[in-house]
Amino acid sequence: MNVIFLILILFLVGAIVTAFAGKWSSLLQDGLFILAVTIPAVLFFTQVEMNQLVGWTRGGIHLELGLTPFSYFFAILVLLLGVASAIYSVGFMHGKARKSYYYFNYLLTIMAMLGILFSRDFISFFVFWEIMTWASYLMVVMNGTRTQEIGIKYFVFSAIGAYAMLMAIVLIHAQTGNFLIQDFIDTYPSLAHGRQILIPILLLVGFSVKAAVMPLHVWAPGSYAYSPMSFTSVFSGALSKMGIYGMVIVFVTLLSHLPEGGLIRDIIAWMGAMTAVIATLWAIAQDDARKLLAYSSVGQLGYIVIAVAIGTPMAMLAGLFMAFMHGLFKGALFMVVGAVEKQTGTTDFTKVTGLIRKMPWTFLTALISIIALAGIPPLGGFIGKWMLYESLILSDHYLLVIVAFFSSTAAFLYAYKFLFGFFLGQEEEEWADVKEAPITMLIPMLALAVGSILLGAFPQLILKPINNGLISLGFSDSYGKLWETSTLFNEWGDKVVLQPIIYAIMGVFLTTLAFTYFRNRKRTRYVSTKDISTSGEIPLAHENLTFKENFFQPFLRAVEPVMKKQIDWYYREFGAGLEAIFNFTRRIYSGNGQTYALYAVIFLIVLLLLNGNLFGQ
Amino acid sequence: MVGSPVLFVAIPLLAAFLIPLMGMIWKEFVRIIPGLVLAYMLVLSVSLIIYIQSHGTIVEVISGWGPPVGINLVFSPFSGALTTLMTFLGLLVWLYSHKFKRNVDYEPAKKYFILLMLMVTGSVGMVLTGDLFNMFVFIEIVSISGYGLTSFFVRRDSAEAAFKFLLMGAFASSFLLIGIMIIYTQLGTLNMAEIAQRMPQMDYHMKVFSLIFILVAIGVEAETFPLNGWAPDVYTQAPGPISAAMSGIVVKAAVYANIRIIYTMYDLQGAYEYLLIIGLITFIVAETAALKQERLKRMLAYSSIGQMGLAMIAFGIGTKEGVYAALFLMFSHAIIKSLLFFSGSYLVYNKTSKYIKHVNGMGKYLPITAFLFTLGAFAIIGLPPFMGFWSKLALLSAAADSNLVILVAVILVVSIVEAVYYLRVVNRIFFFKKRANTKPEKPTINAMIAMLSLAAIVLVIGFYPDLVTGLIERAADDLMDKGRYIGEILSKN
Amino acid sequence: MEKYLDILEIAIYGSAVALILIGLYGALTKKSLIKIVLGLSIMDSGIHLMMIALGYLKGGTAPIFSKGFENSADQMVDPIPQALVLTAIVIGFGVTAVALSLVIRLYRHHDTLRIDEIKNLKW
Repeated sequence: MNVIFLILILFLVGAIVTAFAGKWSSLLQDGLFILAVTIPAVLFFTQVEMNQLVGWTRGGIHLELGLTPFSYFFAILVLLLGVASAIYSVGFMHGKARKSYYYFNYLLTIMAMLGILFSRDFISFFVFWEIMTWASYLMVVMNGTRTQEIGIKYFVFSAIGAYAMLMAIVLIHAQTGNFLIQDFIDTYPSLAHGRQILIPILLLVGFSVKAAVMPLHVWAPGSYAYSPMSFTSVFSGALSKMGIYGMVIVFVTLLSHLPEGGLIRDIIAWMGAMTAVIATLWAIAQDDARKLLAYSSVGQLGYIVIAVAIGTPMAMLAGLFMAFMHGLFKGALFMVVGAVEKQTGTTDFTKVTGLIRKMPWTFLTALISIIALAGIPPLGGFIGKWMLYESLILSDHYLLVIVAFFSSTAAFLYAYKFLFGFFLGQEEEEWADVKEAPITMLIPMLALAVGSILLGAFPQLILKPINNGLISLGFSDSYGKLWETSTLFNEWGDKVVLQPIIYAIMGVFLTTLAFTYFRNRKRTRYVSTKDISTSGEIPLAHENLTFKENFFQPFLRAVEPVMKKQIDWYYREFGAGLEAIFNFTRRIYSGNGQTYALYAVIFLIVLLLLNGNLFGQ
Repeated sequence: MVGSPVLFVAIPLLAAFLIPLMGMIWKEFVRIIPGLVLAYMLVLSVSLIIYIQSHGTIVEVISGWGPPVGINLVFSPFSGALTTLMTFLGLLVWLYSHKFKRNVDYEPAKKYFILLMLMVTGSVGMVLTGDLFNMFVFIEIVSISGYGLTSFFVRRDSAEAAFKFLLMGAFASSFLLIGIMIIYTQLGTLNMAEIAQRMPQMDYHMKVFSLIFILVAIGVEAETFPLNGWAPDVYTQAPGPISAAMSGIVVKAAVYANIRIIYTMYDLQGAYEYLLIIGLITFIVAETAALKQERLKRMLAYSSIGQMGLAMIAFGIGTKEGVYAALFLMFSHAIIKSLLFFSGSYLVYNKTSKYIKHVNGMGKYLPITAFLFTLGAFAIIGLPPFMGFWSKLALLSAAADSNLVILVAVILVVSIVEAVYYLRVVNRIFFFKKRANTKPEKPTINAMIAMLSLAAIVLVIGFYPDLVTGLIERAADDLMDKGRYIGEILSKN
Repeated sequence: MEKYLDILEIAIYGSAVALILIGLYGALTKKSLIKIVLGLSIMDSGIHLMMIALGYLKGGTAPIFSKGFENSADQMVDPIPQALVLTAIVIGFGVTAVALSLVIRLYRHHDTLRIDEIKNLKW
């Protein structure tokens, strides 16, 4: 059996076995679950060969699976997050209800994502895409809160996307006679112009939904916030990147043949920019960590969309690098929220504060990830952002630079709020007994944080797979190393510019850290936050000294007009209107049998009167 | 040859009359005989399907009068495939209703199974017959047994539903008689093959008139749009398995009749467009009406109507791909909707009103039934990797191949509505709190077997559609090849 | 004789059409369940009458091969419509019987025979 097939089967069998194993032993179930993720992951990295196709026929449709260098890059992200989050899940789901349900859907989601990346024909692609959708839908509704609202919204938008894609797929089939992706790419330049425009747009709609691009993003905040945090780290970290994956392929292989391609790219880039701005503003306004991160995810995806839509080699590189980084740090941050939620039972900033000494390792993860998110050197986030700005400027998109810069600066606000909210601020007695999260949750979190640091120092680790992927898609460069177009990686003497800078910053940072730690180790005295005596006033126990409500109030007041009406509102009104209309159509069925008979007779008479016109020879 | 197509009509008819007699000997016979008969019919139809693959269509002549004079039964790949499907569903319906509610008593069980046998006879007869008037008779058999079965539960509003059904049915049978009469006076024959052969001689207006009368008449049974007022009521009030049988057996037979008449007997291009337009209207109206339903079975009924609309759209495309898609849709709908009716009946058990809110929290009390309902819901929405996906894909692909881009878009948009109302129910089952006054009722072992075998088909075909696609493709070939149908029957003379 | 037969034919067709229309009118406008069932029956009768009339051959004999009529197939009235009508009458009878029994149950359940008041199932 081909190893690609084996991997998918292993996931599927693993999902079923794990789901039933809970009947016998919870520990066995956890073990099986970890194995069900790691064994296929190991198989993937050791056994799968590039560009090897395995094909078969189902229902008269030829299907092909195989791995390309481009999907290999995304597979790294999926499996990395998949394994990390799986280990985390064991700790997170411990003692929670619906564990079997969770494990089953988790494994199916990972399988579906890998399947998408393996697919070399549209039908497998769509099948895995839809499996991913319903498995993640089941995760979104898992907590049972607001299922009819959040869950249905997620599904409806996914369905809009998926059905746009399906429409494109059947149109493609009508043109090429089969469903193979490569065949379509080859015949695309010779299609009629109308189809040439329609098909990529439909595909892009499909992918934009998963990538949460502006008018189609409204599902994302709720869905990210209400699924279990351990899953959200995969959901926001890897699953949303499937949209980016598809977008890149459409941009590179299809739109480059289209005269209007540039326009479409610009529109998408601007939609991405708007997403980044609005979502960042909304993230700042949130008081719930889950929602803050959810909006932040949407915003970050906006950047990535800008980058891949611009589509110069450097921008692509930046976008994909940021996609990977986003997977790492956002995965870690959702895990942090999950850990806080697990230990305290809430994720509200206005309730939980001052956990820094209770959960130091969690804080460390949060700190590193937030630095990466904000794009501060020396961590990996910086490199992605630098390359994004550089490529935007080089391709003359100055307005976009301004917008991107604005939202990335605004992102500092929520980044700070996140860090401050949970960990800094006043220690409250309510949280005096909070313990550090269990080790199974800490290890994956820290591993992802270390990943962020590592990619800051050695970005080539992941730039190389991205580079290979892009080259296999058709980008070319005389060196075969696309990243060297960026000033960051310019040769300076015989050294790359970036490395000395990074090492220097890291050195300074680490030395300062070590110095202060060792110097102050002996002299440190832990005091309560209330242990102050400014102006001779001693605060009472219930008195709040740090601000935790109305964070950033002046800023939010300034941007209020922008945020007054959410797009969400229009969709809700539209949906309500449709439901009202549909409620009215069913009154055709009046309940009176005689009316129905009358319908029949009238229908007959109308047909008889129409006869010649209706059944023209 | 292992048996004759006549047995498909003769045996259940005989069984229907034997049931009360045998019941006098041993009361359990009432319950056992239908199962044996249906199992035999299933075996017979499967073996005949295998037989015709090597020997070609069987044309059975009744009492020595060859066509076009006598009545003939045709077991072709198309009618054979449908017969197999119907007998299989009939068997599952029997299994499911073996000890169903009132059926534990002797008297109701006797009536129930007699009528069920008659219903199967009529439906199979409609599919197999090669004679137009014979088809009329079978339609009436189906309808009358349908009225009886609908009003099976005395305490519900079942008589109301049955009366509406009867009113529509009576109009339909009058129209059908008029249509048949026009054909007979014009062409002097009732044999469908011969009508098809002579059709070009017929006066154009007469042709159209007769077609309209027949289409309206059969449209009542096939649940096309303005004629389907009875359907939601009947599905709501009939016993669960009968709702499944209605949507899986009776309606399929009516659609078969509809299609046989348009594709084989007539040569009017406009008839395909009629199917397309009316199918689309049926689909849209039914799916939108289903969105705000408060009762589970009524929602399923509208969904059922909508799916039949889809099948009609597919037939209306008129290409071989369209026919293939339509047959696939009919097949998958029959299986999935039966699964939904079977499991849905237990989720809202013992509630005469069958409100959707009564499924709240049932996932905890009836995990397997709830899971099967969810599987059915996912499958009928068309989510891969379940069976419904392949049929929907076939339909969309057929529409796109015929350049009907708008049609593809409309179908997809309306499908979203369908997804919404099914998922709302699924969410209720698993994530809502159980209402205090609902009592979960464990399905009987028979019902469980019936549901599990349907679910197994949904999954297996979903992963391996090749099991049925060959059969469906042969059936589609058979329907498209009008000349061969005529030749095969008339050469029997 | 010929003339009378013509008039008879017109009369038969006319009354068939009239019966159908009366039946339709009754079934579609009368509110009483019983009257609706009656309307259906009348409409059925009209259709049966019309079918018989269509198969009639002017001056034809009964479609029975008996002594002295061995070779007169072309002078017989068409037997098929008659056979069809016999079947249709039986079916119509069955439907009417079922309908009336349903009417009884409806009356017990709703205490009314007005069809527009029996609307528990709607929308």
